[in-house]
Amino acid sequence: MPGPTTLLYCLIGLTIVLVATIAFRPSLTATRGGKQLAFVVLFLMPVAVAAMGAEAHMERSKRTDFCLSCHIMEPYGKSLYIDDAMYVPATHFQNARIPREEACYTCHTDYVMYGGMRAKMRGLRHVYMQYVGHAAAPLHLYSPYNNRECLHCHAEARSFEEGAVHAALMTSITSNELSCLSSGCHDNVHAIAHLSGLKFWEPK
Amino acid sequence: MTMGKTMDDRLRVSGILIVLGLVVEALSLVRIHPLGFLAFMFVGGGLLVLGVGIYLYSLVSLPSPPKE
Repeated sequence: MPGPTTLLYCLIGLTIVLVATIAFRPSLTATRGGKQLAFVVLFLMPVAVAAMGAEAHMERSKRTDFCLSCHIMEPYGKSLYIDDAMYVPATHFQNARIPREEACYTCHTDYVMYGGMRAKMRGLRHVYMQYVGHAAAPLHLYSPYNNRECLHCHAEARSFEEGAVHAALMTSITSNELSCLSSGCHDNVHAIAHLSGLKFWEPK
Repeated sequence: MTMGKTMDDRLRVSGILIVLGLVVEALSLVRIHPLGFLAFMFVGGGLLVLGVGIYLYSLVSLPSPPKE
């Protein structure tokens, strides 16, 4: 069965043929039926195709390979393969605790209303910095990592709630007073400064 | 006659812009890359909006035929 992108290509092709027909034979629109056809072909179909294209691009922009297609993100992609369970992004990625094909988006979107849209706006800024401006070195988050993003999956998980340390600190964790990434807890993240000295997992 | 010609010209311009916009949209989907997203949003989207806009403008801007 053809995928959504194939269907979108077919619709784009059909629209191009119909629009070109009207553009090169405008006399077709002289009749009432021709005018109705022109309205469908020159207005409704392009709008529908644009909406479907926008949706396709929005979905693609969540993909890990989309994020890692910028050179500056390559070490972050490599850090997902660190062969050490202490590294939080790596262990989530390698053990499929997050969808591998949407790894960056899953952890770096804000789980609030319009969080996805906010992530897209930040993405536009990143593209601007990549091609026009200068990216900060080293890269840093816009704001400290919010526990809300961890709790989106871990809250109410038995393994999380029954852990003695988690249970003792639950109020501080859920109120974001104590970061999950605090020193001594889960502070090994992408570690791109130390990548050269680490071992990497090679998927079979 | 002039009115029909103007309408035909606008349909032609509108059609060409829409076709160009759709071609850009199709090309932007070939590779998963931020530049594809930008090309879709600003180049393809711009051409489509312009083309559809010219068509819609042509519908409302032409004078009505004189009543007999």
